[in-house]
Amino acid sequence: MRTENQKAWFFVLPVLALVAFNALVPMMTVVNYSVQETFGNNQFFWEGLGWFEQILRSDRFQAALGRQFLFTALILMIEVPLGIIVALSMPRKGFWVPVCLVLMALPMLIPWNVVGSMWNIFTLPKIGLLGYFLNDVLGINYDMTQQPLSAWITIVVMDVWHWTSLVVLLCYAGLVSIPDAYYQAAKIDGASPWSVFRYIQLPKMKTVLTIAVLLRFMDSFNIYTEPFVLTGGGPGNSTTLLSIDLVKIALGQFDLGPAAAMSLIYFAITLLVSWVFYTLMTKDDAQ
Amino acid sequence: MRKLLLSLSLLAPSSALAQAKAGWGNVGQEEPKGFSWTDPLWPDFWMAWTPATLAVFVGIFSAIALIGVLEVVKFRDGIERRGVLGLSTTLGDRLFITLLGSAYIFLAWLGLVGQPVWTPLFLSIGWGVFVFWKV
Repeated sequence: MRTENQKAWFFVLPVLALVAFNALVPMMTVVNYSVQETFGNNQFFWEGLGWFEQILRSDRFQAALGRQFLFTALILMIEVPLGIIVALSMPRKGFWVPVCLVLMALPMLIPWNVVGSMWNIFTLPKIGLLGYFLNDVLGINYDMTQQPLSAWITIVVMDVWHWTSLVVLLCYAGLVSIPDAYYQAAKIDGASPWSVFRYIQLPKMKTVLTIAVLLRFMDSFNIYTEPFVLTGGGPGNSTTLLSIDLVKIALGQFDLGPAAAMSLIYFAITLLVSWVFYTLMTKDDAQ
Repeated sequence: MRKLLLSLSLLAPSSALAQAKAGWGNVGQEEPKGFSWTDPLWPDFWMAWTPATLAVFVGIFSAIALIGVLEVVKFRDGIERRGVLGLSTTLGDRLFITLLGSAYIFLAWLGLVGQPVWTPLFLSIGWGVFVFWKV
């Protein structure tokens, strides 16, 4: 007879309690706020689904959502291939392995707001090293405080600098786990470097790559601190991503109802895209 | 004139007496309020519960609990199957797809058509039936 030990469930209980308090309770509160209006003082008035209607039809929300999708698409298109290339070119043995790993891990150790401030000082046109170099040495007209395009390039490059390492480290872990026998077999068959990558390395990296893409999608889709510190959503509204707009509505205007409705829509989008990604990328394994 | 004053002075207390005899009924009393789905459940509480939103969460959590009980008791390990979308799904997966799909049906309706939301409600129920039956 098979006996089962159910003791493990008790060890999970503290985590469940923690999740209940830091995720479920706020989540339920947001749902409650999204159908009511408040002027503070914990007085609430029923509003129904009106906020959802208003948010979904507002140009401001649609524009912020568009910018958010553009940002995330750029991030994924740059960071995932770049991460794979860097991981492939890193050494697998010897003295340089720990050096490379530490160098790769460094950007990720820096807190988000510090990254924002660093890049702000680095790229300011008159006093920043990069800003000064581009404007006064190379003669390129670059000013991320005035030009939307410069601001966009800056936030994308900043995110690539900060988070490509994550993709690199995950892919590297996948690459290291491939046994030498695979490469020897490929060599005997006279496989080209592309075939080695396509039929050995990529399939072996698939699991970690799934995690990397998911993490990068969720993080870049929910990004707030770095662009907020760097550009504050400007110039104008050009880098006002969804989360920045959300905080403006919730804390700047104290419109808790519309902000709650907007965060639920935001949550639904994140959830759907993550689920689709995950389902598509794990679908072949199940077959 | 005198007569008038006399009759008035008699009239005033008599009407007061009559009113006192008849009782004040519900004058000045707070009207008993009926149950409302949309009134605050606990006034001044920051979580701002209403019976309507509470019902939504009770519904979702009982659905999860029901699926959990079914998976433990009746269908050991969730009876995975491959449905029309080519996905392997357990009961829990199907509940998730139903809820997420319903959220999108409601959002799409609110964005494109507007209130009331009876039609998306029926669409969502149909979607749920389809998911549990075919997906």
